[in-house]
Amino acid sequence: MRWLVFTVGALLSGASNPAMIGTFDVAGTVHAGGKPKQDAVVWLEPATGQPAPPVAKKSVVLDQRTSTFYPHVLAVQVGTTVDLPNNDRVFHNVFSFHDGKKFDLGLYPVGAVRRVTFDHRGLSRVFCNIHPNMAAYVLAVESPYFSVSDSQGRFTIASVPPGSYTYHAWRAGAPNVTGSVVLEAGKPLEITWP
Amino acid sequence: MALSRLAVAAFIAGVLYAQIAHGQPVTVEVAQSGGYSTEEIAAVATQGRVFGELTPARVRFNVEAAWGKRSGKGSDAFGAAYPYEGPVEVIEAYGERTFLPGRALFGVKAGRYRTPFGISSGSDHAYMGFLRAPLIRYNGYFALSNSFLEHGVDVIAGTPHLSLEASAGVPADVGEIERRPGLGTVVRGQGAWGPVILGVSRIHTRPYQNPRFARGRTVFTGMDFRWMQNGVQARGEWITGRPFNNTSTTGGYVDLLVHRPVMGPVTAVLRAERLHYDAAPPFAMRADRYTAGTRIRLLNELATQVAIVHQSPQIPQRRATALDLGLTYSIRR
Repeated sequence: MRWLVFTVGALLSGASNPAMIGTFDVAGTVHAGGKPKQDAVVWLEPATGQPAPPVAKKSVVLDQRTSTFYPHVLAVQVGTTVDLPNNDRVFHNVFSFHDGKKFDLGLYPVGAVRRVTFDHRGLSRVFCNIHPNMAAYVLAVESPYFSVSDSQGRFTIASVPPGSYTYHAWRAGAPNVTGSVVLEAGKPLEITWP
Repeated sequence: MALSRLAVAAFIAGVLYAQIAHGQPVTVEVAQSGGYSTEEIAAVATQGRVFGELTPARVRFNVEAAWGKRSGKGSDAFGAAYPYEGPVEVIEAYGERTFLPGRALFGVKAGRYRTPFGISSGSDHAYMGFLRAPLIRYNGYFALSNSFLEHGVDVIAGTPHLSLEASAGVPADVGEIERRPGLGTVVRGQGAWGPVILGVSRIHTRPYQNPRFARGRTVFTGMDFRWMQNGVQARGEWITGRPFNNTSTTGGYVDLLVHRPVMGPVTAVLRAERLHYDAAPPFAMRADRYTAGTRIRLLNELATQVAIVHQSPQIPQRRATALDLGLTYSIRR
């Protein structure tokens, strides 16, 4: 019976595995000027200031194909290693000089992968030295609770424990949005730029 | 040409429908450019590019079209990426599939694409800080042209570091010059070792000059290199061959592009180039040109290019020393 209660409780909480019992997914939308905005990063920091859980081991990819980076905006937790494979027939030379994580991966061909660990927080603007039209953003945040909005401005932050948070939102060319929120299951988080 | 545009429009519509149907992303880029040269030439242009991947076939597609307008002639300013005259032109429209079995590389591209001789991509000759094509790649200088396009099939085989590419197609050029119809071939070998890429290319095609005096085939052999390390890139091409019978053209260029961390959004570019066209007097031409310039990313979507050009009098021009200025605003969805 305890097993049954445990399982039902976990399902109702929206957790996908036993380690995330009691958590839920935070859904929301991003708008600017009254329109939904894609490629905005939203992240949550616990108001209690407790340290962030360690980085989950998972594959994070910033792909290069058709001489473009995909995705255009990538959010990672500090300490995450990102794979940057070249899936184009032409060579690429990926670099980030200006701020955030600084690196220059040199020339590499199709089929090759270079890796970068984003070991401190901040925004990295990523380019290719051969193809100046290629540009991407990698935003490294301390928190494990983050998401990037889709073409309808929607985002979902997975496995968030209930409680008080400071939310932050970033999008290219706009000032960051910050605020406080008490999160509970089923309560959407709306991010709005004027 | 109208049929070609119609076919491309249908292709784009089909691609967009397929992508929407499969929920896969399609990327659209639009760039608006404007420029002025002290050779008393002003130019404005719009370029659009649609690209993505069709699923589940994993065929990449790329469609690029451009429209441009130049205030006058008598200068080769603003010739780096596409022609600045005439109606909307389809520059490229191709599908491509690449396979990586084990450590090998095999790829097929079909459609309308830039002639794959040497350093040939649009990105390599525009958007970097140069607003003019190299002399060996400009319309009317008895060599190659950046507006050479093929309707054909291109195959690449080898490994990522050592490959052989072959293209067979018919000319589909845009701009002021158009090669005569007829099958042409390009073969290119490329090897890469660390920060160095070396390439050798050979093209057999039809001349674009008047058939009353330009007989035979256009045949060129070229070598190209690229070296890049720590934000410094050197690259260049050298070609030799004949634009048509009883003539020869030899020339090349060397570029230095510097984008070090301390330079922030600024990329500095230098170019030295030479072109020798040997023909019966008075048609022979010996030209040199030197370029110093910069590309500055002002905002995420806005970049400016400034270049000072000093050129020998054999090149059609209005001034021996000219200042070119360009501004490009680009968006991506």
